[in-house]
Amino acid sequence: MTRTELTLVQAPVVEEELHLTLVELCQACSAEEEHVLAWVLEGVLEPAGDSPQAWTFGGESLRRARLALRLSRDLEINPPGVALALDLLDEIAALRARLQRAGVA
Amino acid sequence: MKFKDYYETLGVPRDATQDDVKRAYRKLARKYHPDVSKDPDAEARFKELGEAYAVLKDPEKRAAYDQMGSEWKTGQDFQPPPGWDAGFEFSGADFGAGPGGDHSDFFEALFGRHAKAGQRAHMHAQGQDHHAKVLIDLVDAYRGARRSISLRMPMLDAQGRVTTQERTLEVSIPKGIRAGQHLRLAGQGAPGLGGGPAGDLYLEIAFKPDPQFRADGRDVYVDLPLAPWEAALGTSVTAPTPEGQVQLTIPPGSAAGRQLRLKGRGIPGMPPGDLYVTLGIALPPADSEAAQEAYRAMGKAFDFNPRAGKKG
Repeated sequence: MTRTELTLVQAPVVEEELHLTLVELCQACSAEEEHVLAWVLEGVLEPAGDSPQAWTFGGESLRRARLALRLSRDLEINPPGVALALDLLDEIAALRARLQRAGVA
Repeated sequence: MKFKDYYETLGVPRDATQDDVKRAYRKLARKYHPDVSKDPDAEARFKELGEAYAVLKDPEKRAAYDQMGSEWKTGQDFQPPPGWDAGFEFSGADFGAGPGGDHSDFFEALFGRHAKAGQRAHMHAQGQDHHAKVLIDLVDAYRGARRSISLRMPMLDAQGRVTTQERTLEVSIPKGIRAGQHLRLAGQGAPGLGGGPAGDLYLEIAFKPDPQFRADGRDVYVDLPLAPWEAALGTSVTAPTPEGQVQLTIPPGSAAGRQLRLKGRGIPGMPPGDLYVTLGIALPPADSEAAQEAYRAMGKAFDFNPRAGKKG
């Protein structure tokens, strides 16, 4: 086994400091461009910009795109199904957070 | 090496049809998918399911696996008989690309070497981006921190052999980071092929479970127990926050479940989060004559029926 030691100082927070292009987002989550296009069409991801070449994705897109990719790959869900699953997961997360705020969970 | 009963994993009989296998897998996969399930074992279960399905969905692999006989039980010590797979040909193409990716020793011993063949086919110029999760303490989000993280990564050496490379990175965790956010470490992913640039490494931040504090986005929650007289009469108490203790005024007549908001005492940022203190009421034990007498005196002093209004 080889070991390498390195020291790094700073790394940007994706959600706050970065906007990803279509190519960067695909690279970051190892997704095919056609999948990302289909998810945008279904509203799973909401980039700014008029055309795919001009799209910029906010950092939150990274989490959503990776989740979408895992769901479509592991459970073979098509893009409308992925969109529905993500909406429901968001809703469950919001409800859990409300329970937590109320001290129930 | 331990034997794995893939039929047991999927809960199907050995003579199940391919459709039965698929249906059983889909149903369990939806139940245990780590993105969907809150079961603490979900990830491990899901990996086992993926491995079982990778074998049983493929008629060739299933036939080879069946050849081992039905006497084996999960967990038994197992060595594949020499030449067990003679006469079977696996198409390795989509192999190892299944859910989870990493498989048990048992799986690797039986099917692993066939899988490796196809892996070098991808020739991206840029190295792949990698992802890892980093657990930090909540207080690290308040103060910022430096964290050493060790990453192990399988690499192909010049001869095409797989070796493990361990790298230690020291990462600065910025103040104000929240669970679920990612740090991007440019150029720390997989090395590029054919002179291409290296990929990036994304670190997803998660908080270690804390016995006291719960974080939700920027806001942080903590429970604070009070004695009944403190809640009734009001008082000033020391309350814990992730950054240390603060003096907190409890208004008179505070009921259990009441939340006090300490503005700006959540995770720092623009704007910072808030800290919510949820009040609870703890009863002192009636474990001495004097304590019981005090409770009796209380009962006499109040004309109080907590069940007034409960009918049925």
